[in-house]
Amino acid sequence: MPNKIEEILETAAAIAKGMSVTFKEMMSPTVTENYPDEPPKFEERFRGVHVLQRDESGLEKCVACFLCAAACPAQCIYIEAAENTGAVRISGGERYAQAYNIDYSRCIFCGYCVEACPTDAITHGHGFEIASFNTSTLVYRKERLLAPAPPGARPPEIFTEAPSAH
Amino acid sequence: MAAPVKLTIDGKAVEAAPGTLVIDAAKLVGINIPSFCYYEGLTLQAACRMCLVEVEKAPKLLAACTLPVAEGMVVRTETPVVAEARKYTLEFLLTNHPLDCPVCDKGGECELQDMVFRYGAGESRYSENKLHVDEKQWSPVVFYDGPRCILCFRCVRICSEGMGVGALGIVNRGAVSEIAPNHGDHLECDECGMCIDICPVGALTSGTYRYKTRPWEMDHVGTICTHCSNGCKTTLGVRNGQIIRGNNRDRSGINGEFLCIKGRYGFDFTDHPERLQSPLMRVNGKLEAASWSVALAAVAKKFSEVRARHGSFGVIGSTHTTNEENYYLQKFARSVLGTNHIDHHRSGDVVTLLDALSGTAGSLSTTADLYERKAVLVVGADLSSQQPFLAFQIRANYRHHQARVYVVTENEVREDGIAAATVRVDKGGELAGVHSLAEKLKTESELVIVFGDSIKGEAVRELVAFGNSLGIPVKYVALVDYSNSRGALDMGLVPELLPGYQPSNQPGMTVGEMLESESLEVLWVVGANPLESAAMKAKDAFVVVQEMFLTETAQRADIVLPAASAYEKTGTVTNVTGEVQRLKTGPSTMGAKPDLEIIGLIARDMGLAAAVGPWIADKVFEEIRATVKGYSVPMAIISAGGAAHTMPVNGRIPVESRPDLIHSSRDNLFTSGTLGRYSKMLGSVMEGRQA
Repeated sequence: MPNKIEEILETAAAIAKGMSVTFKEMMSPTVTENYPDEPPKFEERFRGVHVLQRDESGLEKCVACFLCAAACPAQCIYIEAAENTGAVRISGGERYAQAYNIDYSRCIFCGYCVEACPTDAITHGHGFEIASFNTSTLVYRKERLLAPAPPGARPPEIFTEAPSAH
Repeated sequence: MAAPVKLTIDGKAVEAAPGTLVIDAAKLVGINIPSFCYYEGLTLQAACRMCLVEVEKAPKLLAACTLPVAEGMVVRTETPVVAEARKYTLEFLLTNHPLDCPVCDKGGECELQDMVFRYGAGESRYSENKLHVDEKQWSPVVFYDGPRCILCFRCVRICSEGMGVGALGIVNRGAVSEIAPNHGDHLECDECGMCIDICPVGALTSGTYRYKTRPWEMDHVGTICTHCSNGCKTTLGVRNGQIIRGNNRDRSGINGEFLCIKGRYGFDFTDHPERLQSPLMRVNGKLEAASWSVALAAVAKKFSEVRARHGSFGVIGSTHTTNEENYYLQKFARSVLGTNHIDHHRSGDVVTLLDALSGTAGSLSTTADLYERKAVLVVGADLSSQQPFLAFQIRANYRHHQARVYVVTENEVREDGIAAATVRVDKGGELAGVHSLAEKLKTESELVIVFGDSIKGEAVRELVAFGNSLGIPVKYVALVDYSNSRGALDMGLVPELLPGYQPSNQPGMTVGEMLESESLEVLWVVGANPLESAAMKAKDAFVVVQEMFLTETAQRADIVLPAASAYEKTGTVTNVTGEVQRLKTGPSTMGAKPDLEIIGLIARDMGLAAAVGPWIADKVFEEIRATVKGYSVPMAIISAGGAAHTMPVNGRIPVESRPDLIHSSRDNLFTSGTLGRYSKMLGSVMEGRQA
C-alpha cells in the first residue's frame, strides 16, 4: 500500500516539474517569428536578393566592370556593357551595364560579388521570397534589381552638358 | 660569328652573342625582366626604368634593356633591392595614372596592373590632385586617354618604325608630355591600330571594342584574316556568338605583332544587318525567303534535270572560300556535274611563275624570307597599301638586317623611303625598269622578287630569266588579291587546270566566256560577284548563288543560299606565298551554312553524296593532302595553328595561264571587295572615304 501512495506523489511531482517549465516558457517573451503572418526581422548583414545601388544624384553606381561576374563562383551574373554618352548618361563612370542579370536558380548568396564591387554598386538586400514554380522567372533583370531613384534626383550639371565635338 | 659572351643571370650560365642586351639574354634562360618601354624589334628608349637589375661590381642598378652583355658579368634580376626599385618605379608611374581599372578596357590584360600586383605600390603617398586631361578621339578606331599614358613611347616607335607612317609624336615636356596625332586633333594614317595593341596600359583604346566587355569574358579564337592574301593570324574575341574585337593577342602567327585595319577591325561584316540568314527563292520574279530543305531540293532537282540531258553548267568559285571548299566544288563540278566550265577571278600569274621555275627547288619565297633575305625587289605593286604584311616584313628586314630594297613601280610608294634604288616607270615598263637594275642586283648575295599583276604571261618568264641571269639565289612571290586566291588556283578552280596544276583534257569556259555564252543553262556562283561589272548573256539560265549578302549577282539569282563567312567555319587557306593555315570557328550566324556543307547537301539531295565524299573539312583536307601535289604538309604544324609552306608543282605546266584574264582589283588598306562594302568600320575612317 505505501508503495501506491509513493507512486502517486512521485507522479504528481513529475507533472508539476514538467508543467513548471511549460508555465515558465509561457510567461517569457517569444523568440520565434510569426512569419508569414508578420514580416521577419533581419540582421543588418543578412545576404538576400541583391540591390543595385544608385548614387545621391540618382545615377547607377554600377560601371559594368564585370568584377562581380568574375568573382561569382556560381557564374550566375551576366552583364552587357555600354558607353555613357553626353545625351544618355546612366552611370557615374564612363560606361554602364546595359544588361545586368542575376540567375537566382544558381546564386548561392556567398557575397563575393558584393566584396568584389569597386563602386559599392551591388549589395545584398533582405529580399528572400524568391521561390518559384518556374525557374525561368528566377533570372532577375536589372530593372528588378535596381534601387529606386531618390525623389527629385537629377544628374549634376557636368553630366548633362552637350557632348564634345567628336 | 664572333665568340659568344659568357655571363651569369640569377645563377644560370648564359651564352649570348656579343651585343645582345641583358634583357634578351635573360629570355634565353627563361627569365623575364619586366619592362614597359622595351619592345623587341623597336629602337631602345630606356624611359620606364622598370627593367633595373643588379650587376655585380656596378655601384647602382642598371637598366637591362640598354645594357649589352659582357664577359663574366653577374646579373641578379630578383633581389630585394631590385624589387624595391621596381616598386618605387611603379609608385612613380602611378602618381598620375588614374586608378580607374574597373572601367578601363585594358583592365585584366594590363602590363602595369600585372606589375603592381607583383611588386606592390598599390598604396600611393601622393596626395595632390592628379592632372586630368579629357579623353580624345583621334579617329573612329583610336581613342587616347592622356592620364593613363605612362610615356613608354611604344606607340610612337611602332608607328614610325614598324609601320613607316610616323603619325604619332610627343608634345610638351616632362610631366605634361603627351602623345599627339599627326593632324593636331585627329589621325590620318593607316588606322592599323598597332599603337593600341602595343600600348602596355589603357591609354590607347580601340573604337570598336571600347567599353563593350572585359578580356576574360571573351573566347579568344586564333584564326586567319579573311581579307587580303597575306594570311595574318587574327585573334577574335567572341562573346555570345558575336565578334567583339580582333587583335593579335599571342603574336603566334606568321605576322608576329602585325595586323592592319582589316584584320583588326574588318570583322564587322559578319553581323551586318543585310547579312542573309535564310535561303531565297525566286517566286513570280521576286526573291522570297524559303526553308533550307525546300531551297536545296529545288537546286538538286534543277541540277539533276540539266545533268540528265547533258546541259551546260557554269561554276564560278571564290577567292575567300577554304581550300576544302574549292577542292570539293571542283570535284563536284567535274565528276558529278560533268563540266569543266569552272573558274574564279584570277589576280596574279602564279601558273606561269610555277612553270618558269620548273626544275628549281626552293625558289618560292615565304613571308619569313621577306624578313630574312638580304635584298628585296618590288615590281609593280604598292605593297604598303595592297599587301600590308609583306610591306611590314620588308620594313622590318630593312631595320633589323639592313636589307637593300629595290623598287620598280609606276607611282610613288612607301617603300621608296627605305629603297636602295627606285625606278619610276610608265605603265607596262616594269620589266625594262627591272633590267636597268641588273648591275646593282648582281652585287647582292641573294634576292626576293615580289611582283604584281602587271608582270604576267611572257613577262613572268622574262623576269625569271632575268633572275637566273643574276647568278645569285632568287626567290619569287607572285602577288594575288584575296585570302584564298592562291588556294583557288592550287585547288584547280580554273577551266584548264585540275588540282595541283595538272592540265585538264578538255578545258572549259572562263568566267567571261560563261557570262558571254547564250547556251548556258545553269550558272552556279559560290562566293563571288561576277555580275558586279559584267552582264550575263544567257537570259534564261538558272542561277544559284551562295553568298553572305545580296550582291549584284545574288539579285539576279533564282536561288540564293546564305553562306557562312571564313570566321564562322573551319578549313584551311593558302596565303600569297603558298603557306597553308587553318581557320578556327569563332561566332556563328543563324541560318547560314558553310559552303562546304551547302555543296555537300546539294550532292546529297541529288542522291550523289557518295561520289563526292563526306562534307567534313578535316576529311576533305585529308584527301587534299593525299592527292594534291605539294599539299602533303605536316598535320602537326597545321593543327598547332602554324603555317606550312607548299610547293604545288615542280614541273612544266603545259597550259597558257591566260594573262588576259589576270587583273588585280587593287584593293587598298580600306577596301576589300564585297566584304569591304559591308564593313562599317572600314568605310568609316576618313582615309577610306578619300581613297
